[in-house]
Amino acid sequence: MEGSPIDIVIFAPLAPILGVLLFWFIQLAFIESEKYFLDKIRPRHEPLCRFTNFLGVLFQTICHALGYTVTKSGISDFYISVNYGRVAPKKEKKGIFEWISNVFLFIGPFFIPACLLLLFLFFLMPGGFEITTPAQLIDWKYTFAGQINTFGTSLYAFSQGFFSFLFNIDLLHPAHFGFMFLMIFLGMGMRPSYIGEKKQEKVDMIYDLRNIWHLIAHKPLYLILLFLMSYVFFYISLFLDQNWYVALFSIFGWLSIISITSILIANMILLLIKTTDEIPSYWKLIPYITIPVSYILIRLLFFYFPVDFTNSASLLATILCTGLVTFLLLKYKADKFKTRIHIKLFKKKDKDEKDE
Amino acid sequence: MNDEELLKNEKVGKVLSPHPLSFMKYQSLCIFLIIWGILVGWFVYFSDWQNTFTDNFWLVLTFWGIGLLLAGVVASLVTVRWSIFLLYLGVFASGSTIVFWLGLQESVGLFASFYTVVFSIIGFLIVEWYRRSHKYIISNQRITFKGGILTKEERTLRYDKITDISAKQGIVGQIFGFGTIIPISQSGFGLGADESFAGGGIQLGEKKAKFLGFFGGGREVQTPRTRSYFELHGVYPYKEVKKLVESMVQDSVVTPYQQEQVSFQKEQVDIQKQMRDLLKMQSESKDEQQEPENEKDDDS
Repeated sequence: MEGSPIDIVIFAPLAPILGVLLFWFIQLAFIESEKYFLDKIRPRHEPLCRFTNFLGVLFQTICHALGYTVTKSGISDFYISVNYGRVAPKKEKKGIFEWISNVFLFIGPFFIPACLLLLFLFFLMPGGFEITTPAQLIDWKYTFAGQINTFGTSLYAFSQGFFSFLFNIDLLHPAHFGFMFLMIFLGMGMRPSYIGEKKQEKVDMIYDLRNIWHLIAHKPLYLILLFLMSYVFFYISLFLDQNWYVALFSIFGWLSIISITSILIANMILLLIKTTDEIPSYWKLIPYITIPVSYILIRLLFFYFPVDFTNSASLLATILCTGLVTFLLLKYKADKFKTRIHIKLFKKKDKDEKDE
Repeated sequence: MNDEELLKNEKVGKVLSPHPLSFMKYQSLCIFLIIWGILVGWFVYFSDWQNTFTDNFWLVLTFWGIGLLLAGVVASLVTVRWSIFLLYLGVFASGSTIVFWLGLQESVGLFASFYTVVFSIIGFLIVEWYRRSHKYIISNQRITFKGGILTKEERTLRYDKITDISAKQGIVGQIFGFGTIIPISQSGFGLGADESFAGGGIQLGEKKAKFLGFFGGGREVQTPRTRSYFELHGVYPYKEVKKLVESMVQDSVVTPYQQEQVSFQKEQVDIQKQMRDLLKMQSESKDEQQEPENEKDDDS
C-alpha cells in the first residue's frame, strides 16, 4: 500500500464525500433550471405546476415521516395537500433523533425518489450494478486520489450501464414504458421546495441551502459525529481491505446521476410545453401526437425491415420528428419566424414608395 | 334553464357542470381496463413468455380473467363497493361467452385485449354522458340540481332552507381547481351515513350437539353524502362557487338585529290591527245606535 499516512488517515475518507457533494450541487443547479421552466409556463399550465408541487410536497412529507419512523418517534398525524404537507411525531424526541429527522426532511427529497428509480433499474438493467476498483489503483486505492478514482470509476461504470439502458429503452415494453413514465413524473417533483401561488413566494436553491446550513450550524456536534462515523467506517474498510466505503458513497453518486437525468428529461418535456404554447389553437397538440405516432410507425418500419440498434434509432427518429414538426408549426402557424421576413418586406416596400 | 322555469324576479347567476375529471373514480376503472387489455396483448404476443401462451387457450383465458377479478376484488375492498368486482366479473363473463359462442379460441389473446379496450372506451363514453347530464343552476333565489341519463332527477333548494354547507376537494380537485359542495337542507337532505358493523360467532359442542351463537354491534356516523345530481359535484372554479353559495345563504339568513326589527314591526302591525278593530267596532256601535233613532224618527 503506497501513499503517505496523512493522506490515508485524514484526506482519503474525504474524497467520496466531496464527490457526492459535487454531484449534489449539480443536481441543485438542474432543479433550479426546472423551477425556471415551471415558473415560465405557470400562467398557462397552473394544474401542471400544482401537480409538480404536489409531487414535491409528497416526497418531502414521506421523507419526513420516514425520518420519524427511523428514529422511532412514531407518526401521530400525516396530512398532505397540493401546497402543504405536515407530519407530526407521536413522541417528541430531542437531540440527535430530531436532527436525523430533519436530515431526512431536508436531504431526503433529493435522494429518496431516485432510490425508487434505482430499485426499478435493478430489475430492468440486464447487467446489474458493479463497483470495481481499477487494476492500476489496487496498490494505492486507500489514498485520496485512489478513493476519488475508484468513486469516479464506479460512477462511470454505472453511467455506462444506465445510459445504454436509457438509449436502448423499448417504449413498447410495459416495464420500460412504466420506468420512463415514472422517471418523468419523479423528475418533475424531485425538489424539496415548491413554487408558491404567487411569484414572490417562490423558494429557490438558496432557500434549500439555507435550511440545510441552518441544520448544520444549529447542531455542529452531530455533523462532526457523522464525519467521525464515516472515518471509522473508512478505517474498517481499510483494515478488512474491502472498499465498502466508496461503495456506499457511490450509491449516493448513482442516485444523483439518476436524479439529474430525470430532471433533464422532465426539463425537455417542460421545454416542449413552453414552445408549443406559442403555437395557436389545436395545432399545438400536433407535437404531442407526433411522439407516440412517429415512434410506433418507426418501430413498425423496423419490424418489417430489421436493422441494428432498432430501439435507439426509433428514439432518435421520434425526437427528430417531434422537433421538426414543432419547428414547422412555429414557422407556419406562429409568427415566430415570419416577423423578420415581413419586416424586411415592409421596409423594402416603404423604401420603394419613398423613392417613387 | 328555460324562462318558463324561472320564478318571479328570479335571475340566473351561474350555470355549472361537473369538471371532466370529477368522475375520476369511474374513469379510473376504465383506465385500468385499457392498461390490462394492452398488457394482456403484450404478454400473449410480444413478451418473453409468448411461447407459453401460444396455443394455450385456457391459460390465456385464465390469465385474463384472474387479472380482472383480482383487480376487482382489491378495488372493491378498498372502496367497500362490490359493484366494481361485479363489473369486472361482467366483463370477463361476457367476453368468455362471446369467445365460446363465436369460436374464437384460437385468437383469444387478441380478442381479450381488443374486447377489454373497447369495453373501457364504451365505459368512458357512458361516464362522459353521465357527467354531461348534470346541470347546476345557481340563481338569486335557489339552487336547481338536474341530472340522470334515463331518469331525470331534479332538486330545488332555496337558500333559506340551507342549514349547513359541506365542501370537499380531493387531490385531483386541488390540482385542477374543482371540488364538491353539498348543501344540507333543514330536512337533512344531503346527509348520508357511514355504517360499521362488527360481529362474532361462537360454536359450542364438538361432535353432535352444536350451538351456534352470533353477536355483534353496529355504529352509524352521519356524513355529508348524496347523489352527484343532488350536490354541486366537481364544480369549477371551486373556491369561487363556494364563496358565491355561502354569500347567497348568508344573505338569506335573518340576523338578530333584523329579527328584532321584524318583531317590532309585527308588534306595530298588531297594534294597528287592534286599533282598526276597535275603530270598526266603534263605528258599528254608532251605526247601531243611529239606526233605532232613525226608526223612531220614521215612526213619528
